[in-house]
Amino acid sequence: MKKPKNEDVSLDMTPMIDVVFQLIIFFVVTLKMSDDKDTTIKLADGKNGIVLTQEELPPSQLTIDVARSGRVSLANVTMSKSMIVSAIKKRVAAYGTDFPCMIRADKATPHKYVAEVMGWCTEAGMWKLSFVAIQEHKSKN
Amino acid sequence: MARKEYDNPKAEMTPMIDVVFQLMIFFIVTIKQEDIFSKLNANRPAPNAAATQSEENDTQLKIDIGRKGVVFNGTGMSFKDLDSNIKRLAASSTKSTVLIRCAADSPHGFLVQVLDICNKYKMYNLSIFSMD
Repeated sequence: MKKPKNEDVSLDMTPMIDVVFQLIIFFVVTLKMSDDKDTTIKLADGKNGIVLTQEELPPSQLTIDVARSGRVSLANVTMSKSMIVSAIKKRVAAYGTDFPCMIRADKATPHKYVAEVMGWCTEAGMWKLSFVAIQEHKSKN
Repeated sequence: MARKEYDNPKAEMTPMIDVVFQLMIFFIVTIKQEDIFSKLNANRPAPNAAATQSEENDTQLKIDIGRKGVVFNGTGMSFKDLDSNIKRLAASSTKSTVLIRCAADSPHGFLVQVLDICNKYKMYNLSIFSMD
């Protein structure tokens, strides 16, 4: 059998570099910095809840984090009662009481801390609250 | 001034490819898959409406959540039993109000589990009370 003759042994790199750049751009774009929430919170499972997609959430939404220790935070910044109440009141003034007000509480948080936060929401005029749970586990921990 | 002579006008690709591969490996390793979240809606009874509301509805389900587990209409049971009870009741009517009363020291996970069961059977009239 006749072997094909290789006249040019050097590989053409251009398509490979193109692909690699595309991949890099993809990863850079999809990389999401998730430091806007309390990452110590371990949520409970809620398979039957309404699926939450970050993209669909309106900018008016408010997520209040309640850690196991009772630490209440907004966007990973510890907040006092008065700060939370005024944040909710501002939203109620701007959007009415229909904006999504969500409580992300650790599954081991004693109810008294959650009740406290619910009380603050009620004080600010929000009766409709939602609790965030995990529909499907994807991350390793 | 004498110009530098270039023997090989082709740009050297090897370092660039090295860097690009390093970047790729970095991003592949650091990418983290996020969990899919769900939300469970519930109502907080208005302080003054609480008394009147409870008299309007004839069918009411009472779920008490304690530190160790749940009590449904006065009987303590597992979450599995609660699930089948709610399923049976939801078959006749999903309109009835579910009153969820939580003890101060009950873990939040139990409340989420109860809300999840209610959501499963389309019971959306949920009110959460807190007990001292």
